[in-house]
Amino acid sequence: MNPSICFYFQVHQPYRLRDIRITDIGKGDQPSYFDHEKNRSVFRKVAEKCYLPANRLMLELLNRHPSFSIAYSLSGVFLDQCREYGEDVLNSFRALAATGRVEFLAETYYHSLSSIRDTQEFCEQVSLHVHTIEDLFGQTPTVFRNTELIFNNELAQVARLMGFTGILAEGTDHILQGRSPNMPFEPPHFRLPREKESVIAKNRPLAKRSDKIAILLKNYRLSDDVAFRFSDKSWVGFPLKAETFTDWLTAGGGHSINLFMDYETFGEHQWEDTGIFEFLRSLPRMWEERGIRTATPSQVIAEWADRSKEVYDAHNVISWADTERDLSAWQGNQIQAAAFRAIYDLGPLVKATGNKELLNTWRKLQTSDHFYYMCTKYWNDGDVHKYFSPYDSPYEAYRRYSHALCDLKTRVQSKTKPKKHPLRP
Amino acid sequence: MPLHTLMFGWEYPPRHLGGLGVACQGLVRGLLHHNIKVTLVLPFPGTDDEVDIRFPTRDVIETIRIKSFLNPYDSPELYARRIQHIPRETSQIYGEDLGHAVYVYTETAVEMTKDLNPDVIHCHDWMTYEAGVRAAQYHERPLVTHIHATELDRTHFSPNEWIYGRERWGFEQADHIIAVSNYTKNILVQHYGISPDKISVVHNGSDEAHAIHVMGDTVPAVAKKNPMVLFLGRLALQKGPKQFLKMAAMVHAHRPDVQFVVAGDGHMLSDLVDESCKLGLQDCMIFAGKVSTPEARKLYAQADCFVMPSLSEPFGLVALEAIAQNTPVILSKQSGASEVISHGFKVDFWDTEMMADCVLTVLREQPLAMQLISEAPRVLQKLTWINQADQVHSIYKNIINS
Repeated sequence: MNPSICFYFQVHQPYRLRDIRITDIGKGDQPSYFDHEKNRSVFRKVAEKCYLPANRLMLELLNRHPSFSIAYSLSGVFLDQCREYGEDVLNSFRALAATGRVEFLAETYYHSLSSIRDTQEFCEQVSLHVHTIEDLFGQTPTVFRNTELIFNNELAQVARLMGFTGILAEGTDHILQGRSPNMPFEPPHFRLPREKESVIAKNRPLAKRSDKIAILLKNYRLSDDVAFRFSDKSWVGFPLKAETFTDWLTAGGGHSINLFMDYETFGEHQWEDTGIFEFLRSLPRMWEERGIRTATPSQVIAEWADRSKEVYDAHNVISWADTERDLSAWQGNQIQAAAFRAIYDLGPLVKATGNKELLNTWRKLQTSDHFYYMCTKYWNDGDVHKYFSPYDSPYEAYRRYSHALCDLKTRVQSKTKPKKHPLRP
Repeated sequence: MPLHTLMFGWEYPPRHLGGLGVACQGLVRGLLHHNIKVTLVLPFPGTDDEVDIRFPTRDVIETIRIKSFLNPYDSPELYARRIQHIPRETSQIYGEDLGHAVYVYTETAVEMTKDLNPDVIHCHDWMTYEAGVRAAQYHERPLVTHIHATELDRTHFSPNEWIYGRERWGFEQADHIIAVSNYTKNILVQHYGISPDKISVVHNGSDEAHAIHVMGDTVPAVAKKNPMVLFLGRLALQKGPKQFLKMAAMVHAHRPDVQFVVAGDGHMLSDLVDESCKLGLQDCMIFAGKVSTPEARKLYAQADCFVMPSLSEPFGLVALEAIAQNTPVILSKQSGASEVISHGFKVDFWDTEMMADCVLTVLREQPLAMQLISEAPRVLQKLTWINQADQVHSIYKNIINS
């Protein structure tokens, strides 16, 4: 029997920082750290090139092919931007949700790295996200995907205790060790420290903990054929046809081929004139003809149900970023480490103020993209940097970020209620 | 037979005022490394009879010294000012005005190199272009003109028309042009109407050894000194010392503990001293005057941040010198150095507010300073004069064979 195809698309936009100056710090009347004009223009550009046409196409495909299904993870900050810059985009996702064959996954609302630093904060952000998805789309996520597929054994257990039945991860070769990524896996069994378990129990997004959790692994070769190589003329597979790609999909066998990618692949990373939309349009028909099914992550997991799973043993943290597929895209240098430390050190103070706006600002500054823009890995000797950044350099990213943090610190201090002097004995 | 280049230069260490001499020396040494024979013709402000003394300063280099009062950063006014102090009978021989001085240099230089048999002629900046063109015609060999700084850089785009004309003529006559940066190449294309196909960019190299940080070396056991921000360069319009003062005033308003050092000499010195007093910087601004190479290194090493605010900087070797001493740099975007140094802040020279902001950020954020100095010096390994001279060698081979 053919494996089923599991499509999951990541949809996210960060709040980019404006050109904050040192002279702005501590003025108290700081309007915002974020560059609304830039954020709006990027959002509208991507909406026109990707979100709107891609959603139109997906709706068309869902209507035409009754067995076709897909999954999305929409970050909370993306949804916030929909409310600010694009109700049309949000409505097009609502229309997709109304088909009943679109699954929405859970993630941290702020697309943050909180999982590696602050379990309580992590749980709060996931809860916030789950409730937002419930409100907007009328469904409760049961599968979790962490920011940039950051994953390790501990996180799998945390997600299980939060109530999820599945979690997504990168299918890295060094952990698979020759095994196929096309099967559901499970994490090694172990207990978390009691305090951690109790933090999770108190801040769980879902009603009860899950007994088991399945790990769905990204088939990175086949996913990246579409996401990265589709329009690469020097690639041996160019030009990629739906038929060839389907041959490749079935050749691997297994239970499900998990194609995980950024949604911006369609129309933004791969422009419309590359034929990416036509490629996508022709896939479901071809699959139908050949008797290949699609399934969402929760269906894939449900279908496997009680069959035994192999252990996917990720002692060290992995992710889907760069060739290293680790944390080095966000934690690889001194400025990233300093910024990361500083933002989380501020957490208890921000929370102590009880000020919602400060809390929201602090959390928006946790978005992983801020750290990604500070990456210097590929920033060498005049080479054009290989990733998209709204700033001139990693140092400019840090300059703006550190100013925002300095100002946030002064705002937090001014809002902190002075402690009453303890009564003298 | 080694390839032989006949090179017309302006200045050469130890007699040099700026980066041109350092670049010339680096290039010559690099070429020698690739077994190229170099004959170098230089203006020489000697007072005794030193014309046509050829002496090898190193194994294969041959230097021909031409008695002249030319100075590579001359404008007609500066030349006139200098020549006033020269006895009249001498100045008549070596040039009563800048035009005449160039004429005398050209005549002598061409005459004295007639018995050589070069494969290629290579000349540096406008004063030597006519000598280069005529030598190339005489020897029937291809001509490479090297451009280190244009008249537009020196005058912030209000050129002396005569000098501008000499430059353009030199570019037109050349078989190939070497520009020290893409920034300079663009100026040639946009403002001199030169075809980009004829211009190759060879960035300057640096033989500055990267000073290895010894832990505890830079932070003395005593309390940390006041932070210091450094300017180093000729005190001329082109280098942006006024922008440095403006920036300093803004930094000072925010952090009065910061010290500023302006190292270098030039005709703007007295103006700048006045200006810094007007800005209220008299207690935190030090004018150090011209500094020797070891002194400069020490200043770079002491500085917490080096600022190069040039209005138009074809290259800017000082930036490489600063990163070699583990100093974070803030560079004018209008510079060639900003093309090769990736790990630093780059600011438009007129945006002194942004410049001040970057300085303050570097001073406040220790991790940022550490990150910059751990990454920036890597480029020095690539940008050696041996590598850069190899590119020049390839250009020679191409034009000789075409």
